[in-house]
Amino acid sequence: MAKQYDVLFRLLLIGDSGVGKTCLLCRFTDNEFHSSHISTIGVDFKMKTIEVDGIKVRIQIWDTAGQERYQTITKQYYRRAQGIFLVYDISSERSYQHIMKWVSDVDEYAPEGVQKILIGNKADEEQKRQVGREQGQQLAKEYGMDFYETSACTNLNIKESFTRLTELVLQAHRKELDGLRTRAGNELALAELEEEEGKPEGPANSSKTCWC
Amino acid sequence: MDPAERAQAARARVPRIDPYGFERPEDFDYEAYEEFFSTYLVILTKRAIKWSKLLKGSGGVRKSLTDLNRTFPDNVRFRKTAEPCLQKTLYNVLLAYGLHNQGVGYCQGMNFIAGYLILITKNEEESFWLLDALVGRILPDYYSPAMLGLKTDQEVLAELVRMKLPAVAALMDDHGVLWTLLVSRWFICLFVDILPVETVLRIWDCLFNEGSKIIFRVALTLIKQHQEFILEANSVPDICDKFKQITKGDFVTECHTFMQKIFSEPGSLSMTTITRLRERCRAALLSQG
Repeated sequence: MAKQYDVLFRLLLIGDSGVGKTCLLCRFTDNEFHSSHISTIGVDFKMKTIEVDGIKVRIQIWDTAGQERYQTITKQYYRRAQGIFLVYDISSERSYQHIMKWVSDVDEYAPEGVQKILIGNKADEEQKRQVGREQGQQLAKEYGMDFYETSACTNLNIKESFTRLTELVLQAHRKELDGLRTRAGNELALAELEEEEGKPEGPANSSKTCWC
Repeated sequence: MDPAERAQAARARVPRIDPYGFERPEDFDYEAYEEFFSTYLVILTKRAIKWSKLLKGSGGVRKSLTDLNRTFPDNVRFRKTAEPCLQKTLYNVLLAYGLHNQGVGYCQGMNFIAGYLILITKNEEESFWLLDALVGRILPDYYSPAMLGLKTDQEVLAELVRMKLPAVAALMDDHGVLWTLLVSRWFICLFVDILPVETVLRIWDCLFNEGSKIIFRVALTLIKQHQEFILEANSVPDICDKFKQITKGDFVTECHTFMQKIFSEPGSLSMTTITRLRERCRAALLSQG
């Protein structure tokens, strides 16, 4: 089977219930937006391949239930992620305040060096805005994160933010990636990667060039 | 008052036609019935009082529930424009339940269960008591903040698959798939929005009648029936996709045959086994912290 991509990354969407995590994901992967849809229970995911810096990146994006108690389930997925979107809703001060808690959870459960990005979603709801743009920027600055205000509804900054986080993950794994490039013509290296996708958790893969 | 007078008095108080439209027979024991009904009325009244107190007890605290318009957005009766709009009913049931069972409060997923109960009973108070029967009695602690019952039952299912369908268990192990990714919605939503409505309702009949063991029967039947199909998967996304597909199609739509299958396909499944597995898995989870 012809290889469709060069690397595989896992990204994770977290944030309070109802901030629009699933909508961001649907807009990005399927370019769809539904003003009302069903609450996410547990964990779900979607895939998409994008090209960044000439590299075909297959991203697996994990969508999580926002209610606090579901963390007991979702935290198992933190450690598998290379990039994390922390999402709040600009029309909910509360969801913004909670970013602090979400960040500390990331610190606790995610691997070191995980890339993070802050998202203020529902930017189209200007008349209901409770969190200023500069508040978002300020918080992102404190945590050393990039920041985007997005709207899944109007398709604002969706592609940009997903691409940006993917870039950050790529940069963070530059070393392994260079290793891959020097072996670019080597079919064995590609085969190894192929296999990694199939068995992401298999102990046999631990010695390979695995950043998944 | 002598017995004859008492019987006469009871006869005068109790209507000749019962609330269901049946005429009472000639030899109906009005006195005994009145005695029964006066005790039963106490129970009904207590429930009604409890319910109305719970509704008022919110004390004007209108907790916001982001899930209200995310419960069956495709259902015409749950639309904001519907008359009557069941979102309000759902809100009342969930709010009252949160006050009634404060150890659980509100857990995402309960909205779908309460939503189905409301659609079926068309009655707030009845939906509340049925929700209480499920969450408070029939199901282990799926919805409490630690969700330990849910995590336990997912592990129990994993063990049952290991015993009964070892090839599928091996596939999961090979790919390091967490069962929670595949089945947490099955347990949390009791198959709502996963299987066809008629099938879900048939499953719930058994659930109310026989208890939570039925969930394992349904899960095992789905997996066993599609074992070959599942075993074709060669990646994690593939496995997830296959687990979504096995909840669709004729096999689950034919609810009557499906219900017969759940009692034959998985083979024997004694409550002793389930209890033992639950104890073991729960202990293992607790020791992992």
